[in-house]
Amino acid sequence: MSNEDLFEEPLRPVAHLRAKAAALLLFTLALVAGSVLYLLYARGVFEPTQALVLTADDSEGVAVGMDMTFSGFPIGRVRRIELAPEGNVRILIDVARRDAHWLRESSVFTLVRGIVGGTTIKAYSGMLADPPLPDGAVRPVLRGDATAEIPQLMATARELLGNLAALTAQDGSVAATAANAQALTERLKGPGGALGVLMGNEQDARKILATLDRTNALLARIDGMAAKADTQVFGPQGVLPGVQALLADTRASLRKVDAVLAEAQAIGANAREATTDLGALRAEVEGNLRKVDALLDDLNRKWPFARDPRDTELKLP
Amino acid sequence: MIASLAHPSWPGRLGRTAQRWALAWWRIVYLGAVVLVLVLSPSSYGRGLRGPLARHVVLNTAPILLGFTALAALVSLVLTRIVVVTALSYGLSRYALEMVVRVLVLELIPLTAALFVALRCTIPNGVQLVRLRDAGRLDALRRSGTDPLRAQVLPRVVAGVYASFTLAALSCVVALAMAYLGVYGFSLAGLPAYTRMFGQVFSPSITLVFVLKTLFSSLAVALIPMASALHAPREGPAGSELGGLARMFAVLLLIEIASLMGNYYR
Repeated sequence: MSNEDLFEEPLRPVAHLRAKAAALLLFTLALVAGSVLYLLYARGVFEPTQALVLTADDSEGVAVGMDMTFSGFPIGRVRRIELAPEGNVRILIDVARRDAHWLRESSVFTLVRGIVGGTTIKAYSGMLADPPLPDGAVRPVLRGDATAEIPQLMATARELLGNLAALTAQDGSVAATAANAQALTERLKGPGGALGVLMGNEQDARKILATLDRTNALLARIDGMAAKADTQVFGPQGVLPGVQALLADTRASLRKVDAVLAEAQAIGANAREATTDLGALRAEVEGNLRKVDALLDDLNRKWPFARDPRDTELKLP
Repeated sequence: MIASLAHPSWPGRLGRTAQRWALAWWRIVYLGAVVLVLVLSPSSYGRGLRGPLARHVVLNTAPILLGFTALAALVSLVLTRIVVVTALSYGLSRYALEMVVRVLVLELIPLTAALFVALRCTIPNGVQLVRLRDAGRLDALRRSGTDPLRAQVLPRVVAGVYASFTLAALSCVVALAMAYLGVYGFSLAGLPAYTRMFGQVFSPSITLVFVLKTLFSSLAVALIPMASALHAPREGPAGSELGGLARMFAVLLLIEIASLMGNYYR
């Protein structure tokens, strides 16, 4: 038995053994490498993130790796939960940079623990025009716990029921109010009626009635006075016809004044024309005077009789 | 006196049983250590040994790969439909996909792959090894100066581990794809949500437990049949082979319990 025979095994020979073995190894390697890469991608290793720190007073239900959602879409995941020196809880969240623009300065974060299902962290951005949330921002998280509110709700409901019971007791306010209402309706049905209820006693109600009667009589007298005043003002002997006649006279006088004024206007126009003529006349006289002046100068030059130039000079008057 | 020899007293029987039990476990551990050393030493991949190693790897993995993958795909699809429809009727469809991935990929598939490899490859390999030993080939190898562990056991163990690991990896990928198809159908719309859910399920600790579980399961199904075959009594009762099987199942059960404790008992 040779050495080769010793290695021989009862196995059938395989064609292209080396190629098949290499292909199988490569396949397995590709499978494992692909799975690892996909897992890293799914864990968000290749995704750029920014940090967000939420502070809460209780980390119950919060787990590393859980999502933070915005409108139901996961935009971040919890990386770490730690206890701060102040005793509250710091929840470190990685927010994907491509989704970080949904978070603004005014964003609100809630930690809601439902009755069924796990705890969820939600972000709400009311005003998307606000400046974006910076990297590493620290925000408080509001706790909305459906089960935690039940004891408080029960306490409030109990208090409310106690108050209601006190109100509706035999000697309570509601019973007293009902008794008062009953007395009121009795009095309404009585002789004084609603007026008696309002005034409190019957004498005052009677006074009101007497006052009403006197007011009625006063109104009748005022009515008569008004009729008399009407006659005095508007009647045939009244004030108004006299005033009307006076007005007619005044109107006639005004017409006369108008005529006088028209005449005065005509006089004024004539005077204006006369002054225009006067201007022309004056210009003409001035012209004649200048001519006479020139003529005299000429005569004086031609006939120099007088020794004294003052005596020989002809003078105009 | 003769009767007491034929039927030893029960403390003696108990002692011998405990001794056998401890010896069997020790042999498994010892063989594991030896194989690990051989796997890590470069001389195991010499010219004469590379051929048998490649042949064992190909013959142990390739024939069962397609069949097991198809089976895993079918089982995954059926289980996904059942879980999704049931969850929908209870209004818990949000958790259906995560549950499918946890149950199938994390728990069922690696265990099934290991058992499949044990039944189809490593147990028949163990029987083969017993036959080789009975035919005197291992002794002949030893006489010719070749380590029979390196020549005959190492390729079978490596092939078993490799087959188990490849089957688990491929069927996990197929199960993930089937779970996606079972929920979203032929559409890429659900891929971001699915990827995110996958990332949440496979946290670092769970991934570590998953990898360790797959590794130790494949080691258990590859090593224990070989250890049983190497040290089986030549003319003994058939119970020794069954003992090896029982040990293998016990180890698989322990690994599964440990992984469950690692994943969910915190």
